[in-house]
Amino acid sequence: MTAAVISVDRVSKIYAGSNTVTALRDVSLEIAPGEFIALIGPSGCGKSTLMRLIGDLEQPSSGAIRVKGKSPRQSRLDRDYGIVFQSPVLYEWRTVRKNVELPLEVMGFAGHDRQERARAMLQLVGLGDFGEAYPWQLSGGMQQRVSIARALAFNPSILLMDEPFGALDEMTRERMQSELLNIWGDTGTGTTIIFVTHSISEAVFLSDRVVVMSPRPGRIDRVVPIDLPRPRDITTRESPRFFELITQVRESLREM
Amino acid sequence: MREEVAISAERRSIRRRVRVPFPNWATLINYARRAIPLLTVIAVLFTLWEGSKRLFDISDQKLPHVGDIIAVFAVRTQGGAGPLLIVQMLNNAWATFGVAFGGFVFGGLLGFALALLFANVRLLERGLMPYVIGSQTVPILAIAPMVVVGLSSMGAPVWIAKAVVAAYLTFFPVTIGMLRGLRATAPTEVDLLRSYAANTRQVFFKLRLPAALPYLFASLKIAATASVIGAIVAELPAGSTHGIGVVIINAAQYYNSRPPALFAAVLVAGLVGLCFYGLVILAERLIIPAGLRREE
Repeated sequence: MTAAVISVDRVSKIYAGSNTVTALRDVSLEIAPGEFIALIGPSGCGKSTLMRLIGDLEQPSSGAIRVKGKSPRQSRLDRDYGIVFQSPVLYEWRTVRKNVELPLEVMGFAGHDRQERARAMLQLVGLGDFGEAYPWQLSGGMQQRVSIARALAFNPSILLMDEPFGALDEMTRERMQSELLNIWGDTGTGTTIIFVTHSISEAVFLSDRVVVMSPRPGRIDRVVPIDLPRPRDITTRESPRFFELITQVRESLREM
Repeated sequence: MREEVAISAERRSIRRRVRVPFPNWATLINYARRAIPLLTVIAVLFTLWEGSKRLFDISDQKLPHVGDIIAVFAVRTQGGAGPLLIVQMLNNAWATFGVAFGGFVFGGLLGFALALLFANVRLLERGLMPYVIGSQTVPILAIAPMVVVGLSSMGAPVWIAKAVVAAYLTFFPVTIGMLRGLRATAPTEVDLLRSYAANTRQVFFKLRLPAALPYLFASLKIAATASVIGAIVAELPAGSTHGIGVVIINAAQYYNSRPPALFAAVLVAGLVGLCFYGLVILAERLIIPAGLRREE
């Protein structure tokens, strides 16, 4: 295994308060460059918290996280992260194109470069004609595609996705999963993805490894390697190996 | 994709709305349709007014005819030598509008500043908010003479003293509305900018301020009419020479000899508030992008 791009070393997260919650206890995980990692588990298992700790949206109570050999904070300041949330989090006063340009504006890209990249990204997610529309004019699936385009616009090396398809219907969801894999393959620069989900089939279909977590306190139970060949498509979903792996993950989830 | 077909149909209709040349039949009919409820209300009010006069036998002294109120606008002032009453009233209304506008700007800026302060420093909000609220429970009629007389004696121009009274009424809704607006952002919206390593200034201008604008404009609409009230009240203390408030006072003094004049003055005062309100709506349309107004 090549040197880990993300290493999580005995990390705990405790929310102090009137009733103290241990969101994560002693979590360790190594992620290789270009790897697609799925975090799965029931609500309260700390999968989103782990993602937020890696992205420096929260700080661990103890333990250490290194990202590309740096602290998560430094990586955030170096703009290594593209984040996609469960809701699209589009600014409603901005057009679709301006939403995709938002990170580029913050990062000081020149005007024509911004437009160029935004156009390319919208093309990539199949929304080339919708740049001048406002978010409310798009369906939920299309909005989430905009938020993926926005996350990819500045070419971050790490993509953090927190249940991005959780609010979508099953059909849209499966199509989005395939599109995500296509985009990930197209970018070709070895983007590392951490993908939080509570759907077993989604985790198996997308990832290289499924990290199974359990609650109270949040911890990693098992890591299931997914040896399905890539590129994956509709035939992957119908292969016997796909179902075996789903069963394997489901059983790990049941054992807790 | 199917969803895209539905969306593109909607988009086409939006484009059509935008590119319509101004004078065409559809727009004119649309305007006429919008005017119908307004005209209906005027007709109903007229009927109620004249009907109750007839029904309850209310004298012209207590409730003049609508026609007489309109007619009084055309009377020449100063015993026939001066300008038409409507011209005189509009001149005074314009003076009031100027004072109200000054107070609106001053109070708006103050409210904006207070909201910024409170949004960033919780302690200041806890300490000062009770006084901000308390300031609005004191009757403006009691405050106005103190402010006008006090500031004038300190050498301030009279219009500034009046504008301060108007500002007194306008800063409050702006503080409350803007504060609410500044807190209207979802945590994930802030997280998003954080993940781009955005600085505080960028978070303010790219997220907090635009997110607060709808709330700001809602409170500016209240502030607009309140500032006119403030300006009129500030004109009531003795010493004012012009303003629609002075016209109202004079008309009230000579009510017995010419009742319709008071009603006419009140009508013009209402018009000032209405115009101001319209200006705020105009500003809102210019600032908030058209694509956002989904209900139209």
